[in-house]
Amino acid sequence: MSASAKEIEQLIGKEYKQGFVTELETDTFPPGLDEEVIYKLWKIKNEPEFMLEYRLKAFRHWQTMKSPEWAFVKFDPIDYQAVSYYSAPKRKEDGPKSLDEVDPQILEAYKKLGIPLDEQERLAGVAVDAVFDSVSVATTFKSKLKEAGVIFCPISEALREYPELVQQYLGSVVPTGDNFFAALNSAVFTDGSFVYIPKGVRCPMELSTYFRINAANTGQFERTLIIADEGSYVSYLEGCTAPMRDENQLHAAVVELIALDNAEIKYSTVQNWYPGDKEGKGGIYNFVTKRADCRGENSKVSWTQVETGSAITWKYPSCVLTGNNSIGEFYSVALTNNYQQADTGTKMIHIGKNTRSTIISKGISAGRAQNTYRGLVKVLKGAENARNYTQCDSLLVGDKCGAHTFPYVEVKQPSAQVEHEATTSKISEDQLFFCQQRGLSAEDAVSMIVNGFCKEVFKELPMEFAVEAQALLGLSLEGSVG
Amino acid sequence: MTTQTASRYTAEYSKIEAKLPGGSLPWLLELRNDALKQFSGRGFPSLREEEWRYTNVSSIEKNLFEPRLEPSDQQIDKDWLKNYCLADCWQIVLVDGYYSAELSNLAGIPKNVTIKSLNELLDADAEQVESYFGKAVSIDEHSFVAFNTAWFGDGAFIRIPAKTLLDKPVQLLHVVTDPNRLAATRNLVIAESMAQAQMIETYVGVDQAYLSAAVTEVFVEPNADLTMFKLQCESEKAYHFGGTYVKQSRDARFSHHNFAFGSLLARSDIHVDLGHASECNLNGLYLGIKRQHLDNHTRINHLEPYAVSREVYKGVLDDRARGVFQGRVVVAEDAQKTDSEMNNRNLLLSNDAEVDTKPQLEIYADDVKCAHGVTVGQLDEKSVFYLQSRCVDEETARNMLTFAFANEMVTKIKQKSLHDLVLAEVLKRFPQRGITQDWL
Repeated sequence: MSASAKEIEQLIGKEYKQGFVTELETDTFPPGLDEEVIYKLWKIKNEPEFMLEYRLKAFRHWQTMKSPEWAFVKFDPIDYQAVSYYSAPKRKEDGPKSLDEVDPQILEAYKKLGIPLDEQERLAGVAVDAVFDSVSVATTFKSKLKEAGVIFCPISEALREYPELVQQYLGSVVPTGDNFFAALNSAVFTDGSFVYIPKGVRCPMELSTYFRINAANTGQFERTLIIADEGSYVSYLEGCTAPMRDENQLHAAVVELIALDNAEIKYSTVQNWYPGDKEGKGGIYNFVTKRADCRGENSKVSWTQVETGSAITWKYPSCVLTGNNSIGEFYSVALTNNYQQADTGTKMIHIGKNTRSTIISKGISAGRAQNTYRGLVKVLKGAENARNYTQCDSLLVGDKCGAHTFPYVEVKQPSAQVEHEATTSKISEDQLFFCQQRGLSAEDAVSMIVNGFCKEVFKELPMEFAVEAQALLGLSLEGSVG
Repeated sequence: MTTQTASRYTAEYSKIEAKLPGGSLPWLLELRNDALKQFSGRGFPSLREEEWRYTNVSSIEKNLFEPRLEPSDQQIDKDWLKNYCLADCWQIVLVDGYYSAELSNLAGIPKNVTIKSLNELLDADAEQVESYFGKAVSIDEHSFVAFNTAWFGDGAFIRIPAKTLLDKPVQLLHVVTDPNRLAATRNLVIAESMAQAQMIETYVGVDQAYLSAAVTEVFVEPNADLTMFKLQCESEKAYHFGGTYVKQSRDARFSHHNFAFGSLLARSDIHVDLGHASECNLNGLYLGIKRQHLDNHTRINHLEPYAVSREVYKGVLDDRARGVFQGRVVVAEDAQKTDSEMNNRNLLLSNDAEVDTKPQLEIYADDVKCAHGVTVGQLDEKSVFYLQSRCVDEETARNMLTFAFANEMVTKIKQKSLHDLVLAEVLKRFPQRGITQDWL
């Protein structure tokens, strides 16, 4: 704890390096939301008939709902009429057929973010679907995936090309009326990713989506739908950034995962939306509904998330363990600094027999941030031999922040074994002293200890992400130690 | 529906208002009116309230329980009551919510110690009551507290003066003798600086539906040491609400042992505010059988630095019983060096039993050590196997282990007469597990 106040100031002042704005001509709807807007949206996206009905149903339901207030976050009411519900980079009629046709400025923007799309094809690695504001700009590696029978495309394209498949699964995990933000998303979602892994296929590469909010006063409402058919496997990565703006922007996404018999989905997120400045001005409101249905026997879904961005995070990636012997996992690192607020956790609903779930959550709170773990483990009557292990640890850095743990455990089955453990502490003086005594600076020591604290989660991340996550953690945290 | 039935009670209020004690005291009258207003506005708590999400009290609304307006002259079965009167204790007995001088036994209490009925003190020395009443819990806490504040008819007032060591425990025995009776009592317990005392609250009643709603405010002043036991053995048809709200001053020590055995529906609140370097121990055991619903709600507020809190609650649920544990530890911004541990262990014995548990940590200070743990499950198979390998048949092995699980909380009682009574109550609830003999 040797760093002087001045050094701390400098470190806290570290720039959000993804905070640039790309000057683009965009097609943007005027702010406001009514049935007309939804009709226009449906029309412009050229979607099948059932979608109009789906969207309107969701919209009508949404109008009857109230913004939830139970989460441990504070924010001024959002004026949903002041948000534009569609913003797309202007482009030629047919949209880009290949990367060559993508607006070079967008490509430039992605390059700045460290995902050079055009290099992706050459580098063996990750297939990327990039969503810019509301529309999907480019999907790399399409051809190679096609060979394996994997469908990986923007959801708007999937709606046109595989309407039956989408209709069958869309909203089956997160129904239109599930919650306030999910209903809003169902009504106005503009794009997102769609993944279908056919029977017995092990997806040959990791799939990835990069989300970016660029235009001002727009909300981003993306929708991701991943279906892993019997015996298949897919690992999916998601990353997000946004420019620095003084006003708050809304991001209300819905992610649905469906794992059929013996299928496995691994979903990793590194969320680095703009967190607002150090006075708590601006930043993204990240209100996301993520849920997986382990529908098949022996299916498995694993969520890994590293949450470092956003002014407010409200997110509970959940698993409904319907199939017998299915497995749900949740690994999370949530870091909040300055005035960030995070209320995040998971729900594990055990329905099938011999279902197992693991929850590892690491919360780090610094500055004046509030970090809450909120989780539910529910074992229904039929879930014989269900097993859950939960561990939530919180680390406090500074005396103005808060760390809270709100687990809910509901068990109706005597053969179930549920364990929950939580601890809250600060970085131990002894550990710090030990590291410093071995010649490390206080900053490095803290960074090392925090990385160690999060190791259990980082080891679940795919290689590239783990590196990024560690770097992010260092960046977001460094300034707060003193 | 909520407000409609709440107004049934509210409508009845005008009938009893004049008979309630303290009618001539403006401060109490005002407090009662505020509480009534609060209650008629909100009704009994609903499942929509976060702190009540697992406990549905609508049946209390449906039955209109009637308060007694003056002390009962009814004869009660003294032999039966004797079972619950502990030897080596001073007794203060409340029958249907009213003090009974006949049944109470306060012979030989030290002169400077006050153990009186609240009504008596309101007549004699209302100022003493005023300085404590409503200071540990406000009517805004929840509707039951408001309800109790508006409706209470009597209660006990216990004050241990500074530097006094009470060598015998004080037993506060609540008895309900009539069906459909509402017994609303309000108790004040004050342990002045450096005093030391033990108190035992016991709740019993006839085998009928009735509502016992008690609020106890406890003040543990600097360096005082108070131990409280609560043995809730209400009838299996009864409804029970018992709230204990504690304020601990600097360096004060407080232990609470909560045994929730009886009632069809019981809710127990233990809220503790911790002062500088104070220490608090909360232990609990809830045994649910048949269709019982046992809700235990605890809150520990670490308001100042250096306080230590330890909490262990255990539950055994059989048949169609449902157990609820909600425990919250709040560490305020200035409460550095807080050390807090909370543990909740549950054993489910039947396919229809249920347990809902919600341990919570809310922390605003950084230099703290806080942990909580929860388990729900069955007996450890390895332990069962171990016993079987020592020639104990499986059923006995399971019974032994179940008993041992619960008995851990009972063995914490040092007072022999209370220990035996609690143990007997445990065994009464699990007759097939009556295995105290021989090997123990």
